[in-house]
Amino acid sequence: MKLEATNLTKAYHAHEVVNIEKVTFGAGGLEGLIGPNGAGKSTLMGLLTRRIAPTSGTINLHSDDKTHALNPLRSHQVARIGLIKTNQRIQGFDSLTIRDSLRLAATPPRSEGFTSLFSRQRDSEEIEEKVSRLVEAFPFTDRNGYAMSGGEKKLLDILRCLISEPKLLLMDEPTAGLPEDITRSVMDMVRERVLAGHMRVVVVEHDLPLIWEYCDYVHFLSEGAILFEGAPEEVKANRVVAEKYMGV
Amino acid sequence: MDYLIFSISLMLVYIGLAQLLHIQFGLAGIPNFGVVGFWGLGLYGTGVLYVKLALPLLPSIVMASLLAAVVAYVVAHLVLQRSGQAILAATLALAAIISTLVVSEKDITGGVQGLGTIRFPFSDLDQSNLIFMIMLLVVVCTLLWISGKLRDSRLGRQLVAIRDNEELAASLGKDTAASKRWVFAITCGLMGVLGGMSAPLHQFLVPYQLAPSLTFAVWIALVLGGKGHNLGAIVGVFVTFGLFDILIETYAPVPAEQAILLPNFKLFCYGVLLVMIIMFRPLGILGVDKPRVRAVPKPVPGGHSKPSVEEVEP
Repeated sequence: MKLEATNLTKAYHAHEVVNIEKVTFGAGGLEGLIGPNGAGKSTLMGLLTRRIAPTSGTINLHSDDKTHALNPLRSHQVARIGLIKTNQRIQGFDSLTIRDSLRLAATPPRSEGFTSLFSRQRDSEEIEEKVSRLVEAFPFTDRNGYAMSGGEKKLLDILRCLISEPKLLLMDEPTAGLPEDITRSVMDMVRERVLAGHMRVVVVEHDLPLIWEYCDYVHFLSEGAILFEGAPEEVKANRVVAEKYMGV
Repeated sequence: MDYLIFSISLMLVYIGLAQLLHIQFGLAGIPNFGVVGFWGLGLYGTGVLYVKLALPLLPSIVMASLLAAVVAYVVAHLVLQRSGQAILAATLALAAIISTLVVSEKDITGGVQGLGTIRFPFSDLDQSNLIFMIMLLVVVCTLLWISGKLRDSRLGRQLVAIRDNEELAASLGKDTAASKRWVFAITCGLMGVLGGMSAPLHQFLVPYQLAPSLTFAVWIALVLGGKGHNLGAIVGVFVTFGLFDILIETYAPVPAEQAILLPNFKLFCYGVLLVMIIMFRPLGILGVDKPRVRAVPKPVPGGHSKPSVEEVEP
């Protein structure tokens, strides 16, 4: 699955936040997107998942043999094609338990119609099993209760996206608010799924060691434009990136 | 006796409306302030079809309810994706429009002169009002049962998710707008059914019956009882309508000079109750109930470890 944006711009009043001639995500397995604060990383993520309407430009998603133009689609339609984004700020369903929240994400929308009122069992064994495996894999305070701390909510947000089995997953600052060991087990899980060919991933991060360790390809965004792209070593060695971002 | 049957029938209508509002507001988070409008479409629709077109009662109720559902669907299309305040104002306005239309279109509705007479089904039987009360009881019990089913279902869980965070639910692939629209249209249609069934209770329809006080009575009952509890509607209506309108107004030995004050005293009590509940028990008397689901999650053997790909993708 490849996500391609051409001549994509987003301006708030006269202030242009994103202005990208052409960028392709999802070609290189696990990709990173880095850039200084205010570079437009989160705006770009929002644009790609149709949560923010672009000022101009087109976004196309190539999957298998079909090409979907994302511009006319709404947020839920984008998600149904298989493009899902984790949230930078903590988001959640306050009245759903950890398990219910994951069950909700694992349930395909077509089985949530009015006929579901009369099905004997709410969730199939298959979904229960998927949910249990994910919940048991992480140290939640109360596995049958609600997500308590900000960290647990953040983790739950990522797990919700993983369990819905996207084809292309965008992760917006997955390490923010999470302890290091949890981040590592999440990223290990993500990498294994990428290696198994289940999905492609784009990670937006400030934690550069994590990017160098996990990513196969890195995009560098600064002042709303992609300034450099390449393998982690090339990006690390690049002078523009060093000047603009790492302050060398 | 007849008056008691009438009061209980009326109370059943209130319980039904509050139960539907529980689905709309308690589960899906749609603040419908036009309850009386959809109920009134059912009421007057049934009246017009029955009196002017001489249709039998049951088809009149069905057609009037369909009308209420269609109007609700259109309204849902226009306003449900707006903010809560916009939905509140729009539904309140719709109810006002409907009551104004009933007054102005007097060729169809009879205007302020009224529309009648609507008889009970089986009106040649002695106990037709009792039979009708039992019919209402069956309808309301079915509503309660279905609403419980909804709470325990996948659709109910989706509605709760939409209420909590609609944008997040949409980002997981849920068509939140469509779910809300259909739930709103169907529940408003059912409000129309209750309106249609209220027509033979009142026998004679006048525009005064479409005053917004019905909406507020249902809202107060639901908020008192517990908007997020499946039985909140029943408890709320018992505490308000049952306690004041039936028990005190009918059976309390109040001297005739003071009886005139009772309606005001009732409103005073509602107000005090509402303030107390909002201050000390904001979720209502019963609070919130959880879905009752059969399957209890079993712990996975060998959990607590990092999962491998095979474990994550069974």
